[in-house]
Amino acid sequence: MTDVILRAVRVARRYGDVVALATTDVELHAGETVALVGPNGAGKSTLLAILAGAIEPTEGTVESHARVGWVPQRPAHYSRLSARENLELFARLEGVGDPAGAAARLLERFALPTAARPSGELSVGNRQRLNVALALLGDPRVLLLDEPTAALDPGQRRRVWEAADALRADGGAVCFATQNLEEIEHATRTIVLQDGRIASLTVEEVFG
Amino acid sequence: MSAVLLLLRKDLRVLRRSPLLLAALVAYPIVIALLVGLVAGYASAKPRVAFVDDDNLPKVIVVGGHRFHIQTVIDDVAKQVTLVRLPDAEASRELADGKVVATITVPPGFLGDLQTTVVSPHLILKTGSGGLAPRVTQQMQSLVYQLNQKLQSGYIAANLAFVQLLLHGGHGRFLGKSFDVLGLDRTAKELAAMPQSKRVAAIANFVRQARAGLAQTGDALRATANPIALQQAKSHGRTWLLSAQVQSYGIAVTVTFLALLLAAGATAAERDEGTIGRLRRGLVSLGQLVWSKVALAGVVGLVLGAAIAVVFGVVVDVGGITGGEPWARLPLLLAGVLLAAGVVGAAGALLGAVAREARTASLLAVLLVLPVVFIGLVPRASLPFAYWISLFLPFVHAVRLFGAALYDTSPWHRVGIEALWLLGIGAASWMLARLAARTLTA
Repeated sequence: MTDVILRAVRVARRYGDVVALATTDVELHAGETVALVGPNGAGKSTLLAILAGAIEPTEGTVESHARVGWVPQRPAHYSRLSARENLELFARLEGVGDPAGAAARLLERFALPTAARPSGELSVGNRQRLNVALALLGDPRVLLLDEPTAALDPGQRRRVWEAADALRADGGAVCFATQNLEEIEHATRTIVLQDGRIASLTVEEVFG
Repeated sequence: MSAVLLLLRKDLRVLRRSPLLLAALVAYPIVIALLVGLVAGYASAKPRVAFVDDDNLPKVIVVGGHRFHIQTVIDDVAKQVTLVRLPDAEASRELADGKVVATITVPPGFLGDLQTTVVSPHLILKTGSGGLAPRVTQQMQSLVYQLNQKLQSGYIAANLAFVQLLLHGGHGRFLGKSFDVLGLDRTAKELAAMPQSKRVAAIANFVRQARAGLAQTGDALRATANPIALQQAKSHGRTWLLSAQVQSYGIAVTVTFLALLLAAGATAAERDEGTIGRLRRGLVSLGQLVWSKVALAGVVGLVLGAAIAVVFGVVVDVGGITGGEPWARLPLLLAGVLLAAGVVGAAGALLGAVAREARTASLLAVLLVLPVVFIGLVPRASLPFAYWISLFLPFVHAVRLFGAALYDTSPWHRVGIEALWLLGIGAASWMLARLAARTLTA
């Protein structure tokens, strides 16, 4: 097996009595794309957020050996700032050497509006593209995507998968959550989640 | 650039792009400053008081042989209030309408009672329910005190005339009746001309003692009239207390309100926008997140506080209000404003983290700020419990710090104490906010 880039050891997340994610072990290896599949409320987003470091697990630890990019399910950016300003701000926070240059490259790559228009006024598709672009700041080796293509047109979906495939081909790792069975073809491995646990089921068994 | 500064710059940029909020932020301090300036000006101006003369006082009255010019007395009063002569009915109507803040009435028979020197006549004071009523009452009490001081010499002179009559004898009048008095001097002479005996000697001895005692009556009466005399010394400190309070409250209310609202809203907005998840991925620590909201509140509070102080100062100077604006104290005031706004900002961050949604946080901030302000206005004597609670809230310390910074002759002790209180409250709020921010998840 190839090198482990990201490892979650016995991570779990509870909100009071509600178990969002039961104790789980996950490893991401260089050169693989993992699909997290499961019905609503299965714990996919929680697991991705824990892997990304966006939320703290109630128990367990996450070990990361590389920069991680995260695309949350809901676009996460400052709606009063333009796409460029969002990219530049997060580039600075990420410690990217040339924030303006990095922002300009991503704007072009994802065909995002360059005008100083608040990102909150962009179309749903453009906001989701900005969401993906923000995850690619700083050239991460691990990309965690939470239903990244839900609001995108076919052309934009292709761009997202091209970016993910390129990252994997370059020795990185990709993990994405989806309910779209057609997207599983991009994965080299599939993890099925049900009721907050990794289930020993096939995709067909989960979705009936 | 540090994460705190990057977030601060972002928040200020977001603020700049929220037109309604920005308009409110610009207008709020100006309106507050103008209102505060007008209140200070109104408080500094002479209140209008109706003077009702139901006894038809003459231009000059004589009490105990002393002449008093009524107009001179009125002019003395006019240094403190604007005295307007009005008929009784009109005065009552204007008091009800708020056109005068009080009426002072000279009732029928006032002069007669005054001239008897044995009955205390009454002036009748009616005040409205406005905020100036206590001040007018105090001024009228002061006026009556001054009148009494002037009249007492007349009263003493009248009483001494009777003493002189007892001492030396002669013709006198009292309550409209005339009479002749033998007097102690003539009594002594009569006793000396009488055949001497033990009884005559005893009476002569009494007459001597009485003459000696009555000779001291003048000093005794004056001492009785003024057991303690108040000598007013000139103070080198600032005396415009009302202005200090008004300006301090104006700035403190504005800073408390806006700093709490902004910090709470900005903190909760990180969750609303979903950005908290990105930030918490090692980009910004929870401590840095809270600091950025503290800085936001501090910077905005500083700008607004400075705007209020400057506009207020201009209003005060242009209006020629007594005392003027202490411009030299502005840097100390602004340092205090920065500190207070930051402390309130920490409390706002706590509120935002607990509320978790910007709308809820803003509503909570608005709902909380009024009790916080009002509890700071409760006097210690009237409700000690509220007073003790207010000590652990930033508002009351902000008011005291601003007042001391602006108007205390030696402000450092008071400023130091209040700054320590604020730092303590700020540190506690910051720690609680950092703790509560752990629950902020995307």
